[in-house]
Amino acid sequence: MNSIQKKILTLTTVVLVIMSVIWVALTYYNHKTQNQYNEILQRYLSLNEVTSASQQLITDLNNYMLKPTSENLDLLERSKEELIEAKLDVDTLRNPENHFTLSNYISLIDSLQETTDRFLLYYSEKDTEASTKEFTEAMNISNYISEMTLTLLDTELKTHDKFYRSIIERSGEVIKLGMWLLLLITFVLIFITYWFSLGITRPVLKLTQAANELSNGKFDVEIKVETNDEIAFLARTFDRMRNNINNLISEIKNKAQLERELQENKILLQESQFRSLQSQINPHFLFNTLNTLSKKAYLEGSEETSDLLVSVAGLLRYNLKQIDRSVTLYEEVAVLKQYMDIQKARFTERLKLILEVDEDCLFVRIPALTLQPIIENAVIHAIEPREEGGTIWFRVKDGEDMITIEIEDDGKGMDQEKIRQILEENTMETEGHSTGIGFSNVVKRLRLFYGYDQVIDIFSDKGNGTKVALYIRKEGVKKG
Amino acid sequence: MRKTSILLLSLTFIILCYFTFVSAKKVFRSDWQLSQEINHNVDQHRLVLITQDMETSFWDQVESGARKQALKEGASLEVWGSYGNNQEDFLEKIEIALYSKVDGIIVQGLDNEDFKDLTKIKASFYGIPIITVANDVPMSESFRRTFVGSDQYQAGRMLANELTKEMGTSGTVVLMYDSEHEYYQSQRLSGIQDVLNVYPNIKTVLAQTSETREQVLTTTQDVMNRNPDVDAFIAVNANFSAGMVQEIGKRSQVEPYFIYSFDDGPETLTLLKEEKLDGIVKQSPEMMGEISVQLIMQWLNGETVPLNIDGYFTDIHFLKAVDVQ
Repeated sequence: MNSIQKKILTLTTVVLVIMSVIWVALTYYNHKTQNQYNEILQRYLSLNEVTSASQQLITDLNNYMLKPTSENLDLLERSKEELIEAKLDVDTLRNPENHFTLSNYISLIDSLQETTDRFLLYYSEKDTEASTKEFTEAMNISNYISEMTLTLLDTELKTHDKFYRSIIERSGEVIKLGMWLLLLITFVLIFITYWFSLGITRPVLKLTQAANELSNGKFDVEIKVETNDEIAFLARTFDRMRNNINNLISEIKNKAQLERELQENKILLQESQFRSLQSQINPHFLFNTLNTLSKKAYLEGSEETSDLLVSVAGLLRYNLKQIDRSVTLYEEVAVLKQYMDIQKARFTERLKLILEVDEDCLFVRIPALTLQPIIENAVIHAIEPREEGGTIWFRVKDGEDMITIEIEDDGKGMDQEKIRQILEENTMETEGHSTGIGFSNVVKRLRLFYGYDQVIDIFSDKGNGTKVALYIRKEGVKKG
Repeated sequence: MRKTSILLLSLTFIILCYFTFVSAKKVFRSDWQLSQEINHNVDQHRLVLITQDMETSFWDQVESGARKQALKEGASLEVWGSYGNNQEDFLEKIEIALYSKVDGIIVQGLDNEDFKDLTKIKASFYGIPIITVANDVPMSESFRRTFVGSDQYQAGRMLANELTKEMGTSGTVVLMYDSEHEYYQSQRLSGIQDVLNVYPNIKTVLAQTSETREQVLTTTQDVMNRNPDVDAFIAVNANFSAGMVQEIGKRSQVEPYFIYSFDDGPETLTLLKEEKLDGIVKQSPEMMGEISVQLIMQWLNGETVPLNIDGYFTDIHFLKAVDVQ
């Protein structure tokens, strides 16, 4: 989980390694160059050493000749030894170019030594003339040594001319190398840093975008960060939070919907109750009176009137029960028949009712007082205004997955505007003298009860009758 | 777009890598060794050829012959010398060679006391063999091992014979020679005189001069003033020929005169080509170089001991201006 830290550490290590490699290489190069310079200098110095040693020898020789003390003799011996040492040093400088000259040079040094020895010999024998001659000779040889030193130095320069130039060239090349190296490293580092920072900032950017969308209310976009560092962890947590919020919100929405529906239902019920209550002016009195009237008519031999009164009483009782309950289709059809008996008594021959009921479907549950207002509507519009009367069909048909209830008349029909109004549940002024419950009230209750809109349909042509069809799904029925 | 930029980046990277690599190779792969050292046991004989006239065509040929031979014999040879007859410098070179204890010295003979002193006393003290080349100094005076070069007496005779062939047996001949009385010149002179003295009608005029150019000019002038009927000039010392020809040219045409010399001067060949000289005695300098190295190596290796004291003579022939053209 410390991968950003790891990345930073890696980058730092890479930079460090590169720098160390360069440092080591440069140090190595420096060391080599230093050695080379030392070697070159050493060559010149050892050549110079011979010259100064031979000159020192001559000086000591001269001093000894002027003042032959043992002290001066010691000095002379010492400078002789120095000369021998210098000679040995010079002997190592041999190469093909200076081989000849160097051999001569060394022989010259030998000659100088020998001459010095001879000088000392003659001097000790007090042979002044011979010793003076040897001294002169030694001086000459010393001069030749100096000259030959110059020649050797010259040869050295010529021999190594190319080499020295290559050193100079190389130091120029080092600067070039430094430049190229700087460019390369800069390039590589910029690239690595860019790539590396992208690895950190890209997930952060994604997260920011996701947060932005969340704050704008879009809770359904998944947050996905495919790295293996802390940001990915953050993103996962964030995503979980988004999911939770999303779930909560949809739950709240559902609840609100339910509540709203419930509220509506209640209002409708209250309205129907209110209306039914309006007509409940002492219903028991009315009910008893009707029963009494029925018995009286029966006793007086008017059986037809008695039956009619029983129907009216049944209808009244049905209506007096609470309206917010469901009943079976069977009960609903029974009430419908009673109602139609009453209407038949009124319209006699003018009203023709044809029932086609599939008995298997009568178990279906249906809100109370739904069919009666529809058929009442049919009576009002199809029978009442027509002198010759009309026919009303009532059908209950069993279908594959739904039961169809049709109420058809052969009246003058409805215009489309009205149908639309009914289906959109717009209340309209009731015309004529219905039992009180309007058509649109019925539509609303049916839809609320079954929970789907496609529960009712109205087919009508001007002058060709009207057909109202109710579709009741069987699954919905079972649930209800 | 992305592809292009990636391509561009990698290209830059590769180019940078390449140049860095090339530069690094140059810096780190160059030669760190100063120069190879040789083992000390390469014990070649060290020979020195010393002349007074470095870089004249004559001595260049001697040098090339000697070098060739030295290479063949496996000896290391160096050529030292002075320029323009600088005797002091020349003698110093000999002295250095002696002090340097070289194995052998091949030297242009110089007939004076200092030279004899060096070759006689110092050389024998250090035990270094000396061979004279081109110009000889007698054995008795220099202790040289041998001489390699032309037989100067014969050269003189050859020149005089050619002169009589061209000029006829009568006339005035000016002989210009060195006031130093060098051995090789006196030999040439005696060779010339031996031939010319046979003809009574030939008058020889001896003109002695020193080596400086002014002196040569004056002497030539002087001789011509005294002998207006002069027919031929012979520069016994080849170094005089240039000055002589110049002075003659100042007075009159050079062509009517018979002017002869030897080939060991710095300008003789040029003058011959310009037809200012009518003929020279051509020696074989390359052969001299070869033979001298060969002889000294023989002596050092103990193959021919002792060497012929009288010397080994190399070829001479006469070269006319007409032949050179």
